[in-house]
Amino acid sequence: MTSIRLLLVLGSVPFFALSVRAGEPDRVRIQLDWVPEPEFGGIYAAQARGEFRKENLEVEVLKGSAGVATPQLVANGQVEFGIVAAEQLLAVRERGGALVAVYAVFQKNPLSLMVHAENPAHTLEEVWRGKGPVAVEPGQAFVRFLSTRYGGTPRLVPYQGALATFEADPTLAQQCYASAEPVELERRGQKVKVFPVADSGFDPYNGVVAVNGRYLAEHGDLVHRFVLALRRGWQAYLAEPTAFDPGIAALNPAMSREAMDLAAVKQQPFIESDFTRRHGLGTMDPKRWAELGRQLKDLGALKDEPDAAKVFTNP
Amino acid sequence: MRRLAGALGPPMAVVGAVLLGWQLGVWSLRPPPYLVPGPVDITRAFLSDAPRLLAAMGRTGLAAAAGFGLAALAGSALGSLLAASRFLQRGVYPLASLLQMVPLVALAPLLVIWFGYGGRATVASACIVALFPVLASTLDGLRSVDPGLKEMFALYRARRAARFWKLGLPSAAPSIFTGLRVAAGLSVIGAVVGEFVSGFGGEHAPLGIVILAALRESRTDLVFAAVGLSAVVGFLLFGVVSSLAWLALRNWHPSAL
Repeated sequence: MTSIRLLLVLGSVPFFALSVRAGEPDRVRIQLDWVPEPEFGGIYAAQARGEFRKENLEVEVLKGSAGVATPQLVANGQVEFGIVAAEQLLAVRERGGALVAVYAVFQKNPLSLMVHAENPAHTLEEVWRGKGPVAVEPGQAFVRFLSTRYGGTPRLVPYQGALATFEADPTLAQQCYASAEPVELERRGQKVKVFPVADSGFDPYNGVVAVNGRYLAEHGDLVHRFVLALRRGWQAYLAEPTAFDPGIAALNPAMSREAMDLAAVKQQPFIESDFTRRHGLGTMDPKRWAELGRQLKDLGALKDEPDAAKVFTNP
Repeated sequence: MRRLAGALGPPMAVVGAVLLGWQLGVWSLRPPPYLVPGPVDITRAFLSDAPRLLAAMGRTGLAAAAGFGLAALAGSALGSLLAASRFLQRGVYPLASLLQMVPLVALAPLLVIWFGYGGRATVASACIVALFPVLASTLDGLRSVDPGLKEMFALYRARRAARFWKLGLPSAAPSIFTGLRVAAGLSVIGAVVGEFVSGFGGEHAPLGIVILAALRESRTDLVFAAVGLSAVVGFLLFGVVSSLAWLALRNWHPSAL
């Protein structure tokens, strides 16, 4: 009788474990640093396909906007995950915020400068040293880099995240994602030239998923499950973006579905690389983080070179 | 001198106590610097970049002062005009009150398209937020003239211009100066918001751009330093208006005695 009871108890253990795993999902939030666009396609695809649910996660995606303080929100524990730029993560870390990168969407940074097609510039250097104003988000690290690399003192004006000011001024050069704004402009019949900043030698990871270091230490398994689901989401999105773009377009009326379909194709070479084909989408290379730390120190954006091994993990 | 010390003493004591409490809180609770820097960190950030920050303060101060000056002229003129005509008052005043209801942040990008990048859009932004308080206080002051004095001017068959310059304007002056004091602070807010969308970066950055750049770089100490300097601009404008009010009212109005 005792052995039967023991068998019943032991036999129920896997079911109990299953019921816990399939029970209340872990609720987490991810703060985007911009409005819903294909640059977050993998997150929305993971949601639509139920990839997060398969990992027993309930993920709330919080839309971003120009100037949203995502790194500070994550570092202060207001949200569990956030999309940040690599240089922002290092800046917050130096000032006491325990941010850790766990996934990097963009292996090559799509951040670029675009000019109207009739602009005489043929290279990034010519754009930078040109006569027209350059609209950039104040505090962008690449501004320091380009100033050091190419010299010149362009008339810097604030980037507002809108296309209206760019359309109104034919002399303006404006910061953009190579796969986003130029696509929408071309769809509206305006030809533009695009110069990726990465080609200048400053190529930090972008679309980096960051977590608070304390949260990572206490919920390592949850973060691992999140990254697994996210990677599957990105694989699904890259394979068939048109299946998910209508859902993203419904959240962002400012960008048409057609533009999103085109943007998804254009961003692919920025997301996939030889490195990700060997190690998996979103995987990060310590050499890249070390290089960025050195560059930011040389530019005076950081006081000390960070320990690259501590700023990221590939769960 | 004694009067000055009497006026400055209480606020200085309160500010000193707040700063001391803040610094003690930072020393004891040790929040990370990106979250809450202490006054010592903020002072250090200011001193390490003082020439650039002071130049930025000068640019913001000039834009705020220009916007405030335009608002003072236009607001008092428009307020006087509305006071003279019931028809205009009923027709224009509700529209003018829209100025304080429109969210400036939404309007600011349009100012860049209309006025271009740089000072003009910033001045326009400062002027828009500062205009309504001056207009409203001028109108209110002119409508609140003592009816007995009005009757006396009518009895002596005073002309319209004389009624305005010798009765209306002096009676309305305390109210106008109150509006100008409110507008002085608002013009700094308007200038900084205008700079968020139109200010030049790099070496010519005003305080609005310094704040945005420092936020992106998680330099919260620098954000506080720049915000503090914009408050200094506001205090300076407020001080100028208060001095003018004292000069104009010191001999006859209880608010300046």
